[in-house]
Amino acid sequence: MSDVIFQPTDLANKRTEFLEAARNGQARLRDKDGTSFVMLPESRLRLLETLAKWWQAYMRLEALLHRNDLPRAGELGELAWLRAFDREDFQEFVGELHDALVAANADEDTSVLDECIKAWRITARQLEDPLRRSVLHGRFVPEDYVEAREPDAAQ
Amino acid sequence: MPHNSAYDPDVPARRPGSKPSEKPRYRVLVHKRYLAHYSELAERVGLKQAQQFWDHVSQDPGNPDPIASTCFLRGQAGRPKGPGWSRTIHYEVSSSARIDYQYCDTYTTEPDGDPHPVVAILTINYSSH
Repeated sequence: MSDVIFQPTDLANKRTEFLEAARNGQARLRDKDGTSFVMLPESRLRLLETLAKWWQAYMRLEALLHRNDLPRAGELGELAWLRAFDREDFQEFVGELHDALVAANADEDTSVLDECIKAWRITARQLEDPLRRSVLHGRFVPEDYVEAREPDAAQ
Repeated sequence: MPHNSAYDPDVPARRPGSKPSEKPRYRVLVHKRYLAHYSELAERVGLKQAQQFWDHVSQDPGNPDPIASTCFLRGQAGRPKGPGWSRTIHYEVSSSARIDYQYCDTYTTEPDGDPHPVVAILTINYSSH
């Protein structure tokens, strides 16, 4: 937290210093009624919002995991796509989400978190279809596979 | 008779696409239930993209494709099918065509068989996300 606290009049007199402080992390300003404001880069605000949203989701999912039955779509809300997973996958998702959140927090970058969520969402979509699910979850049986030819215009 | 045309019936047509075909390093297999889907690939996504996928899996299935988006599937769907198999790779051929595959560098058809590299196409999904 910055030690410098700007006043409303500084927005005119010290705007360069104020903006520089904001650019470097945060600029604090105290209004005449004592209300404290903070200005920070928008990217930093988005990072904090994303982390807060997913930490909240993580806490909710972890609490749901302590029950015997899997959560229903209505309980998952915008994470209802997770209903494609059984308990084992659900637990793995929650564990990976935790690791991604810790990494994103440390990196101050949500790339790892974004990749984690995207890959799990793709997996959920692939599992929606019963045939895809059975092949993806099943063991490899050589007799189930045939030679694939190079695609050509005649196909 | 003089041969004025560039066309030579004894020379095979060149492969469409950006580069000449190379000998596949990996033998490519497809699950029987998705053979019909696979045969529609060029028609669905265009010959160039279908061949780009082929080039990728037959030559270098373990590395990211320079153009197409790939990721590992997660959870049980992403686990290797056996010793030596890769995790499941999800390859986006186009916005409406996705293929899941695994590869094995030392695949054998029998316990004492000759190990060779193979790619197994597990599923093909033509629905758009």
